[in-house]
Amino acid sequence: MTNRLKVLRAERSWSQQDLAERLGVSRQSINAIETGKYDPSLPLAFRIAGLFALPIETIFLAD
Amino acid sequence: MTVRNPAFRSYQRRMGIASVLYVAAIFTASSLLHDRSPPGIASVVIALVPGVAIVLMIYSIARLLLDLDDEFLRLLEVRKALFATGLSLAGCSVWGLLEIYTAGPALPVFWVFPLWCAGLGGGVLFNRLTLGSGACA
Repeated sequence: MTNRLKVLRAERSWSQQDLAERLGVSRQSINAIETGKYDPSLPLAFRIAGLFALPIETIFLAD
Repeated sequence: MTVRNPAFRSYQRRMGIASVLYVAAIFTASSLLHDRSPPGIASVVIALVPGVAIVLMIYSIARLLLDLDDEFLRLLEVRKALFATGLSLAGCSVWGLLEIYTAGPALPVFWVFPLWCAGLGGGVLFNRLTLGSGACA
């Protein structure tokens, strides 16, 4: 699975730490998701989608 | 600024207490008892006090896994524990076979937990190599 998290974050000029604090997770989590080393759980994916006000399938894309 | 997860602070506090208790208990047992002391109520109790500290350490690790609310950090810790468990099981089983079939020296079971703890260090390396991040604890 790929995702557009890095692009969406950059569009808002947020650092990984900014995004982590908004989501209530660690910066390591954001880095691992952005680099594709970790796929978030469904609840966290929904929180990310809610934060960016986008449908979940426009952020996370099946390979 | 990176904010450390509160679960790690609680873990370090519990581990610190357990470590101090362990060192104090080991010194006490070593000074009061000689190797293979005859079993008596006092000697058994003194010999078991370090075990209480080890149980507290294991409890601290279990509580860390339960308290961590960050799913990625929890994954790192679980992977570390699995790596350590696999390493200690493999090491003890292979050594056990050597003990059975050769004249190799017996490994005291006391060393199982220290071996497992050493395996946690290997787990950090495993996480860094495969996920790019070790762990915070």
